[in-house]
Amino acid sequence: MSQALANDPKREDIVRLVDVSKIYRQGKIEVRAVDNLSLEIDTGDFCALCGPSGSGKTTVLNMIGGLDIPTHGQVFLERRDLASLSRGEVAAIRRDRIGFVFQAYNLIPVMTAYENAEFVLKLQGVSAVECHTRVMTILKEVGLVGLEHRRPDEMSGGQQQRVAIARAIVTRPAIVLADEPTANVDSATADSLLDLMQKLNRQDGITFLFSTHDKRVMDRARRIVRMRDGRIESDEVQG
Amino acid sequence: MQMWNIAWRNVWRRRRRTLITGFSIGFGVLLAAIFTGMAIYMYGNMINASAATGFGHVTFEPIGYSKAPALDKRLSRVDTLREQIVHENGVDAAMERIMGQAMFATASKTVGGMFLAINPQHESAEYNLLIRSLVEGKVFSDKNAGGVVIGKRLAEKLNLRIGKKLVYTTTDVNGEIVSEIARVSGLFVTGVDEIDGGMALFPLRQIQHVLGYHADEATLIAVMLRQQRHAESSRDVFRQKYHDPSIEILSWQQTQPDLAGMITIDAASNYVMQFLIALLIAAGILNTMLMSVLERTREFGVMLAIGLSPKRLFWLVMAESYWMALIGLVIGIVITSPFYWYFDVYGLDFSSLLGDESYTVSNVLIDPVIRMKLHVIHVIAILSAVFGLALLSGIYPAWRAGRVPPVESLRTI
Ligand SMILES: Nc1ncnc2c1ncn2[C@@H]1O[C@H](COP(=O)(O)OP(=O)(O)O)[C@@H](O)[C@H]1O
Ligand SMILES: [Mg+2]
Repeated sequence: MSQALANDPKREDIVRLVDVSKIYRQGKIEVRAVDNLSLEIDTGDFCALCGPSGSGKTTVLNMIGGLDIPTHGQVFLERRDLASLSRGEVAAIRRDRIGFVFQAYNLIPVMTAYENAEFVLKLQGVSAVECHTRVMTILKEVGLVGLEHRRPDEMSGGQQQRVAIARAIVTRPAIVLADEPTANVDSATADSLLDLMQKLNRQDGITFLFSTHDKRVMDRARRIVRMRDGRIESDEVQG
Repeated sequence: MQMWNIAWRNVWRRRRRTLITGFSIGFGVLLAAIFTGMAIYMYGNMINASAATGFGHVTFEPIGYSKAPALDKRLSRVDTLREQIVHENGVDAAMERIMGQAMFATASKTVGGMFLAINPQHESAEYNLLIRSLVEGKVFSDKNAGGVVIGKRLAEKLNLRIGKKLVYTTTDVNGEIVSEIARVSGLFVTGVDEIDGGMALFPLRQIQHVLGYHADEATLIAVMLRQQRHAESSRDVFRQKYHDPSIEILSWQQTQPDLAGMITIDAASNYVMQFLIALLIAAGILNTMLMSVLERTREFGVMLAIGLSPKRLFWLVMAESYWMALIGLVIGIVITSPFYWYFDVYGLDFSSLLGDESYTVSNVLIDPVIRMKLHVIHVIAILSAVFGLALLSGIYPAWRAGRVPPVESLRTI
């Protein structure tokens, strides 16, 4: 059945989780971080994964990004079963098709804002000239013009998250996975980061899947998937 | 590419730790240079001193002489041969010598010992320990002169002074016992008891005459090379060129097997010592790199998450070890150079500590001034060994970095 779902040509989904479970073993205790969960994310969506701490949000995002491997079930990204790929292939997918934003400490400390944003482009082998135009365009878009040469420790938390977002989208990925991107900043900064993500979603059609447990943040999403104990509690699309 | 740049900056994130590790690598270079340099200088000294008492770095001698030395064994046409050898590549001097055993006697006493007959025009203080060690009187000026130079200890035993007569007895070419008289013209003190108490230096012609040799016959030709370390390769070259079945060409390792053995053993213990130092340094680098990797698991997790492949992460950390090693080598060169310069120019003089006592190993006098000698090849060997070691000890930490499962490292907030 999962194969049939994956091959259904009508659906424009970018991410598909089919009966996915993740069980962590700590000695004799089993923790079901994700429990038989199925989920699809459509291209161009702006989707929030909500739920209290420990509900399995991070685990879901990590499995979508190939950072974690499900105990049962399948994860498809752009219709490719991640389990069928090698470590190197998954790394290449992360490099080319996924943008990651974490809660904090996203940036490589020894590199400037510019170099951080440029890093993945360089990994992709993009030419220096093109790197420059693309990075400058993105830095402008995220409002960091003038801060190109700052190192992470010379920037505020909000500025750092902007660099992280810039780095996530500069490669024009299929999807940006953001794990509690606003958890470490004040609410005004959180608002402006959400404004930015929303703008990138609307203007450039980038799919966003972000996790949060902040009510104000989840209200900005088009679709809200609520989780509890590793399961989906509710899944609604807002007007 | 960019990785080298990131690696370089990463190395300097913990400035103090990097400098400490760099200095420990540099210290390794210093120790290796000192141990190797002193040993090479000392061996060189001993080899040269030993070569200067008889056989040279390379010896041309009658076949079977080294196994059973005897005065009836001799080379002929030594003048032509010597003339030819002196012009060979890498040869500094070639000296025809006659060596043998003799009894030395005066009216009061008889002492057994060795004699060495030389052509003073071909010899020099540099290549003849006995000439170099002259303390009283003078050495005869040419091979046709008369006179004898003996060890001071021998003179004391025989109650001899300069100008007095010495009777020496040996066997000639026919095995007959022959005796002759020579007047003592000089005394030497080498510091080696066996030499000072039982050796005599004669002009060549006088001994040829006594033994019944022709004017162009001698026991051997001692060849001194510009670089003693090329003794074996030069010997092989000579063997190719001078294939006379009556002549045997040997290197000092063959004519002085005791010394060669001693050097081999000493060098081996030196290597063991250096290996232990190397292990300590490697453990230090490994520890530093591993620490720096383990404290950055989160950072590596992020790098893996945004698409760096584990393979590239491995090479990033290897590049850090590379820079670390390079910093260590630069520090090593900077701290070793003044040491080397000092040891080369002034040396470390132990003569005041040793007093008048001289120090010998395998009957070879040791210079009380300790110096260092390193050839380019040793410098290259030391630097590349230390460099290779530093890189080698970076492999495990680099492998660990690539192994960090991204999830574990990202979970930590
Ligand atoms: N490496 C792990 N080992 C054991 N349990 C884990 C591990 N990672 C996560 N968990 C557990 O899985 C559950 C879900 O965690 P997580 O996905 O981080 O939730 P959330 O991101 O919603 O806070 C939690 O109960 C957590 O303790
Ligand atoms: Mg979480």
